[in-house]
Amino acid sequence: MQKYRLTRRSLLAGVAAMATTPLINSQAFSQANRFQGRSLISSGFGGSTMDIIADAVFKDFDAETGATTTQMPMQSAAALARMIAERGNPQIDMYQFSGGQEIDATNGGLTQPIVGSERLAKLPEDLKDPNGHWAAWAVIAEGLVYRTDKFAEPPTSYEDFFRPELKGHIAFPAITNGYGVDFLVMLAKTFGGDEDNIDPGFEAMAKLKGETIFAAASDIPTLFGQGDIWLMPYDTGNTFKNQQAGLPIAFASPKEGSPAVKITACIANGAPNADVASAAIDQMLSPEAQIKIARGMRWTPTNPETVLPDDLAQHVPNVSQLASLDRVKINQRRAEWADRWNREIAS
Amino acid sequence: MRSAAPVVNHKAVRGRSTSLVVVLLLAPSVALYTVFFVWPQIALLILGFKDKGGAFTLDLYLKFLSDPYYLRLLWRTLLMGFATTLITVLFGVPLAYLLARMRSRWAVFLLILTTFPLLVSAVVRSFGWMVLLYRNGFVSDLLQWLYITDGPTQLMYTLPGTIIALAQVLLPIMVLSLYAVFRSIPADLELAAMSLRASPAVALWLVTLKLAKGGLYSGSLLVFSMAISSFATPSLVGGPRAAVMATSIYDLTMTVLDWNFAAVQATILFVTVLTLAVIYGRLLNRQGGVQ
Repeated sequence: MQKYRLTRRSLLAGVAAMATTPLINSQAFSQANRFQGRSLISSGFGGSTMDIIADAVFKDFDAETGATTTQMPMQSAAALARMIAERGNPQIDMYQFSGGQEIDATNGGLTQPIVGSERLAKLPEDLKDPNGHWAAWAVIAEGLVYRTDKFAEPPTSYEDFFRPELKGHIAFPAITNGYGVDFLVMLAKTFGGDEDNIDPGFEAMAKLKGETIFAAASDIPTLFGQGDIWLMPYDTGNTFKNQQAGLPIAFASPKEGSPAVKITACIANGAPNADVASAAIDQMLSPEAQIKIARGMRWTPTNPETVLPDDLAQHVPNVSQLASLDRVKINQRRAEWADRWNREIAS
Repeated sequence: MRSAAPVVNHKAVRGRSTSLVVVLLLAPSVALYTVFFVWPQIALLILGFKDKGGAFTLDLYLKFLSDPYYLRLLWRTLLMGFATTLITVLFGVPLAYLLARMRSRWAVFLLILTTFPLLVSAVVRSFGWMVLLYRNGFVSDLLQWLYITDGPTQLMYTLPGTIIALAQVLLPIMVLSLYAVFRSIPADLELAAMSLRASPAVALWLVTLKLAKGGLYSGSLLVFSMAISSFATPSLVGGPRAAVMATSIYDLTMTVLDWNFAAVQATILFVTVLTLAVIYGRLLNRQGGVQ
């Protein structure tokens, strides 16, 4: 009898121990100061975007874990070039991308899986790599950005770029800008083509040859200010940023659909601080961080558990409303399209 | 014999120690240039002769040299260099001459003032030009106000706009090169020529400008090579429509990720600058011989 009771007690104890072990582990995972003295270097988007992300994610992350995070400003294309140049000996642990570069990086063996993130596991399939090499922590809606004082009714379609009364008042980004590629694809879709049949896009864009072509988001304030531009394809985030600076502009979703740009994070293969980076990416997927990012920049949250407050929800399109372009095909054809664009559109 | 031997030895020792000093003095810059210039340049050269798989090929050079698009790119780059040089000569010669001949105590202050464009970051300066060159900008308004044009003029994102912005930043280089040369030519020579019944214009041409040719050559070589290799101004003011070699190399490296072809373009640009520098050098030497 005694023997049996002892056995049952030890069994209970064992079961209890088994049940609590993961709890202890997960407590250790979120334990304060677990990265004390460690540093994390990430690429960043520069400017106020980088500051808002630092404020929404890394400030809390550093305070909770004791790590020191530094963001190095670089555009996504330049960041991928840097990643390739540092193959095998990465100086930057973690990369943030906005132009689909995470797919090239993963296919090129430049990344390693994000480990130990429960929030990553709950992310919808199309917002992460099947093997956990990258995670989308925000989505930006692209569409039509217009001068509110020049339009009686907001524009509704990509066809609006060809309205005769807007001639000379259109601007669009160059092919070297990710939005320039998306504009080309959306023009193709508007006029009967798609990622596989890009000709209608080039034909339509050729009609806009005389309009202003710009390189980066930093041109937007001067374009709408001195440049006398009334309509351009861009995104919610930059519209909001320039509205705050006092420009009379607004964002409209085109009826052909708003292409969505995934804002992703991934870890460089062989990064010395991969464990810190994994935890930081988990933090980027937290509802608290994503609400702060939505408030600061109008970027759409990706974590299904993130619920935006009503005052924000009306300005930030829900992730389910956004159309997704075929980034794999786009990335494969980027070089070919860039060459053709240089010849047919820019010259 | 006895007395001669120590002298020879002494000389030999001094010679050896002098060459050691020379080597030691040159070592840091040679090491720096080898690691950060010569080696990357050689690596770049090799990269241009490789295809994607790493095998030797001349295809990329043939692709550049047989395609009118890329030849236009090279021509546009050279045109930008020539035009920028011409503008800096036209503006720089009178300015440098005036500053060099000026007896006022303001001369030094004015000279410092001309170098100001060099002290401003290329990005900030380019943004300044953006404000001026846009369709609604100051230059467009001024042209309309003077009845030179009757509609808005877009100089932003064009080659002329890039040339204007480049000429502004490179003008001080030309002025400084010419200033030193004009200062070294005694004003008395002009007076002497005029005393021999040369008109002031002829004296200026025959004496001062002919003697200043060396400064003109070195100044234009500097301006030309800096103009065709500059990146920030063509990228920000010129944009994709006024693409030049430097911006094309950047796009190939950063966006298209075709590093082999970028290396080919970089090598072609480098060889072009080097060839022009050698030709300029020859002209300079011949000029020196005549003097």
